Amino acid sequence: MPEVSKMKKPDVKLVLLGDMNVGKTSLLHRYTERKFKDTVSTVGGAFFLKQWGPYNISIWDTAGREQFHGLGSMYCRGAAAVILTYDVSNWQSLAELEERFLSLTDTANHDCIYALVGNKADLTDPRAQLCQDSDEASKDRMDCGEERTETQVLSACPTPPASPVSLSGITPGKQVTPEDAMALYGRILRYKGLEEKSSLPAEKMCFETSAKTGYNVDNLFEALFDLVLPSILRNTNENQHSPTVDLEECRGAKRGRPGCC
Amino acid sequence: MSVKAFELVPAVERDLLMGDKARINIECIECCGKHLYMGTNDCFIHHFLLDEVTSSKGKLTYSAQKLLHKYLGLKKPVAELRAASALERLIVLCDGIVFLVDMVTLETVPSAAGGGAKIRGVTAFCVNENPVNGDPFCVEMGVISSKKRTVQIYMVYEDRVQLVKEVTTPEQPCAVSVDGYFLCLALATQYMILNYNTGASQDLFPYNSEDRRPIVKRIGREEFLLAAPGGLGMFANAEGVSQRAPVNWSESVIGAAVSFPYVVALDESFITIHSMLDQQLKQTLSFRDGHILQDFEGKVILASTKAVYVLVPLPLERQIQDLLASHRVEEALILTEGAQQNIPKDKFQILHKRILQQAGFIQFGQLQFLEAKEHFRTGQLDVRELISLYPLLLPASSSFTRCHPPLHEFADLNHLAQGDQEKVLRCKKFLISYLGEVRSTEVANGCREDVDTALLKLYAEQNHDSLLDLLASDNACLLADSVPWLEKYHKYFALGLLYHYNSQDSAALQLWIRVVDGDLQDSTRSGLYEYIVDFLCSCSNPDLVWKHADWALAKDPTIGVHIFTKRPVSKDVTELNPEEAITYLGKHSQALLLFLEHLVLERKIKKEKFHTHLAVLYLERVLSLLSEAPADEEHLSRARERLQALLRESNLYRAQFLLGKMENCEQLLLERATLHGKLEENGKALHILVHKLKDFSSAEAFCVWASCCRDSAYQQQLFHLLLEVYLDRSLPAKSQAAAGGGELEMAAVDLLNRHGEVFDAVRVLRMLPEGWSLQLLRPFLGRAVRASMHAGRTAQIAVGLAQSENLQLLHDRLKDRKKPIFVSEKKGCHLCHNTFSEPDVVCLPGGAPVHTHCVAQRVRDSPTKRQLTNSSNHT
Ligand SMILES: Nc1nc2c(ncn2[C@@H]2O[C@H](COP(=O)(O)OP(=O)(O)OP(=O)(O)O)[C@@H](O)[C@H]2O)c(=O)[nH]1
Ligand SMILES: [Mg+2]
Repeated sequence: MPEVSKMKKPDVKLVLLGDMNVGKTSLLHRYTERKFKDTVSTVGGAFFLKQWGPYNISIWDTAGREQFHGLGSMYCRGAAAVILTYDVSNWQSLAELEERFLSLTDTANHDCIYALVGNKADLTDPRAQLCQDSDEASKDRMDCGEERTETQVLSACPTPPASPVSLSGITPGKQVTPEDAMALYGRILRYKGLEEKSSLPAEKMCFETSAKTGYNVDNLFEALFDLVLPSILRNTNENQHSPTVDLEECRGAKRGRPGCC
Repeated sequence: MSVKAFELVPAVERDLLMGDKARINIECIECCGKHLYMGTNDCFIHHFLLDEVTSSKGKLTYSAQKLLHKYLGLKKPVAELRAASALERLIVLCDGIVFLVDMVTLETVPSAAGGGAKIRGVTAFCVNENPVNGDPFCVEMGVISSKKRTVQIYMVYEDRVQLVKEVTTPEQPCAVSVDGYFLCLALATQYMILNYNTGASQDLFPYNSEDRRPIVKRIGREEFLLAAPGGLGMFANAEGVSQRAPVNWSESVIGAAVSFPYVVALDESFITIHSMLDQQLKQTLSFRDGHILQDFEGKVILASTKAVYVLVPLPLERQIQDLLASHRVEEALILTEGAQQNIPKDKFQILHKRILQQAGFIQFGQLQFLEAKEHFRTGQLDVRELISLYPLLLPASSSFTRCHPPLHEFADLNHLAQGDQEKVLRCKKFLISYLGEVRSTEVANGCREDVDTALLKLYAEQNHDSLLDLLASDNACLLADSVPWLEKYHKYFALGLLYHYNSQDSAALQLWIRVVDGDLQDSTRSGLYEYIVDFLCSCSNPDLVWKHADWALAKDPTIGVHIFTKRPVSKDVTELNPEEAITYLGKHSQALLLFLEHLVLERKIKKEKFHTHLAVLYLERVLSLLSEAPADEEHLSRARERLQALLRESNLYRAQFLLGKMENCEQLLLERATLHGKLEENGKALHILVHKLKDFSSAEAFCVWASCCRDSAYQQQLFHLLLEVYLDRSLPAKSQAAAGGGELEMAAVDLLNRHGEVFDAVRVLRMLPEGWSLQLLRPFLGRAVRASMHAGRTAQIAVGLAQSENLQLLHDRLKDRKKPIFVSEKKGCHLCHNTFSEPDVVCLPGGAPVHTHCVAQRVRDSPTKRQLTNSSNHT
């Protein structure tokens, strides 16, 4: 049987975790293809190889469906960053992160970084309704109109209403506040046994995004790429004397020995 | 989205295997080269020879020939068969027992003396295809024994088996695969990787083996394919990491294999084929009663309970072409690039390039120009392939022929656009920008003519601004091809440029002249006439200049003459001989004048001929204006000014000659005076000015310019001459009277008062008539007196200064000489030669002391009784 060809080995791995329907696939689409398109619930998992400067970064999109839950640990093995995704309009999606997904990250690297990402911010935050990619702007606005009635209502008033409601940060429809996310971030650090002081601060690691409008999406990925750079450098160094090569060599050495028959 | 990646070809048909015995089922198969072995439920092993037959149409079929069958004598189905070809053994699992069978005779191998050739209590086994032991005559085997939770590693030799390792597992294993030291195990509730050498283990993911039959399939070095919950095919490597995204099978997959780049899976009724490159389902083949799917040395073999088939992959190129044929560019490229490692490098590169080019053309056909361009670029497309799509763009002389087989399905652009002119136009715009980009890159190497000529044609046709830029810069446009094209689109100016670029300036000029003359229409260049003049101006071929200058001068002499006057001075442009030019310009009087002015006034050429010629022309002009009636005063005065200026400023023309020409002309007195001045006939000149013209200021001015670069004596003489003319009484009284009795005197007075400093006052006073009042000449006299006083005082000062200087020098001299003069009884007087008896002595010049009386004597005697009186008497 011919050897199945090995693919270009990525230098580092990022994993998107989170409940089904929170928009993991959409986030990855938005970042890699710069558009928001129809998705089907992910089966198993998929990954994307991002060329970032001289480095290859693999970004794994996992399936949120319960059925595939068991595969999560494997996907997280060796990850340098895990993006824990929830839906800002759905409290349960945040709760699931803690209950179901956090334990999957046990297999990640010991210095793995964790980002908490509240997606679908366009549903709750008028700022996130402004399309970010100018070239896609018109198209997206059209999408906005077609797809969801609640967005239509919101996008009808492009500037945030200066009501006390929005000032207090609780806009109708919003179920998860950034404070909730930051609190969870603190608990994640505790779960990992990490000192809050020596870890990346919550403000830096909690994001709100919209795959639909592109709000904050590039920021999220690029911030993470910057943060995993040390891991990349370590990996590329290790690869120069990688364990696989060692195995080859030691096997070669064994071949030289007289057989034991 | 389907692709035809495989074909299912029957290998062993039912009849051949069991004839009409309906109860016989195939349980397991093994294939080793051409040898196909089959284990059946009635405990037989069948041995076939499988031959590949390729029909004349390239279709592959198999012909199977039964060699042997053998009953194993256990009355149980044969569960598994594995060939160890180096040992010429089949490893057989039947009734929970592993034993060895001779590959040729199918006889069971008896146990060797030293050890058994049988393993009992086996539920499943696998062969290590990446053995850790170096012995080629030894096969490594992983065995799941019915003994609880253990996996055993055996070495299999020709006639014996040897247990080398036994590892325990956390749960009962039900399937195993091995690569190197890594066991990949399906346990009751999960998959795991276990290193049997170190004992290290790695959990993969949970799985319920009771729900579904697990699949653990080694697909390559340290990589396994596993059946995961939800009907997934998951990849995992020995480190427990998934490096490829999973494929989505059905829930009931019973066998899977990899035939790169595809994952082939079998369920109850279908064979599904997914690409490992993009995880997509590519092909589905219906297959009833599927039972076994296994790959042997790259060959995927399937079996139903009754018959055997081979899944023959279609050649990769064919698959790629199929994808391209259905315009699935992305997939075709992924498939091509995914196959990189499986194809020799040079062959891959050729294939890859071609696919990229084809992809580019597909996208081009869909007007996705950006993508097309990128693929053309990476595929290093011979740009002529693209150009040749556009009718008539390639030069007739081009040696290009389209590549075969063709890269696309289009006959030409019209075929592609199906008559949609808008599409045609967009394609042309694209080609314009594409050629513009590549023409100066290596893409155009070897076909620059074709590229530039095509670009020229497009520019011309599309009325594109860059046409002129193309022609004005380095280009390789072919003349023969471009001429008719440019003519067709009336791009005559451009055509001229092309002629020029091809060193056919004459043709260029003729063409442009026809445009200017209105014979041809081309509005590209406004001011084409001026352009032609410029062109001739810097034209290095004098013949051309002579040939076309006439036309230019006739059109507009003032601009036309630029051909001669604005010729840049550089070594590239040959100097035109001015004399020749003058002769040439003979018939264009205005141009001639301008040219002479250029030579004389601008270039300041010091040649009598030019100066005289110019002066004559000026004069003729003046004369002709004078002869007009009524005279055009304005023109006349301007013409005279020019003439006068030239006469005054130049010293080179032949004054006598000119004078002769205007001798009789009483209107040009000023000019005549100037000429006389030039001839140093100052008297005549002043006479004309004073008596004929009565223009005293001109007379004065004459004196000034006529003497301006001469010494003051000359100047004085000239002014005195004027004064004399003013005071000349010898002239007939009528002229005096006409002058208003005293006009001349007034002029004289004014002259003296104004230019007093140049006159010799004494001479003037002698000349002046007695009766003139002092008052009248006050300014002159005042100045004269003051000047004379001034001169006297200045002289005195000079004398004083000279004296003091003299004194100073004397003083210095004395100082220099001041040495003591010694007088003693022993020294003698120079005059009487007696010694001194008194201190009083006199020194002679030179300092020699002498007796006072001797000197007195000497003075008395000498004829010059001077000096020595102020002699010093030092001691
Ligand atoms: N309004 C809004 N809708 C979004 C956004 N992102 C995703 N969606 C929608 O949410 C739904 C789920 O998106 P997916 O990206 O498929 O979700 P997922 O997390 O990948 O789901 P699984 O693959 O099942 O785990 C889709 O209908 C999207 O259109 C967003 O930013 N804003
Ligand atoms: Mg998804």
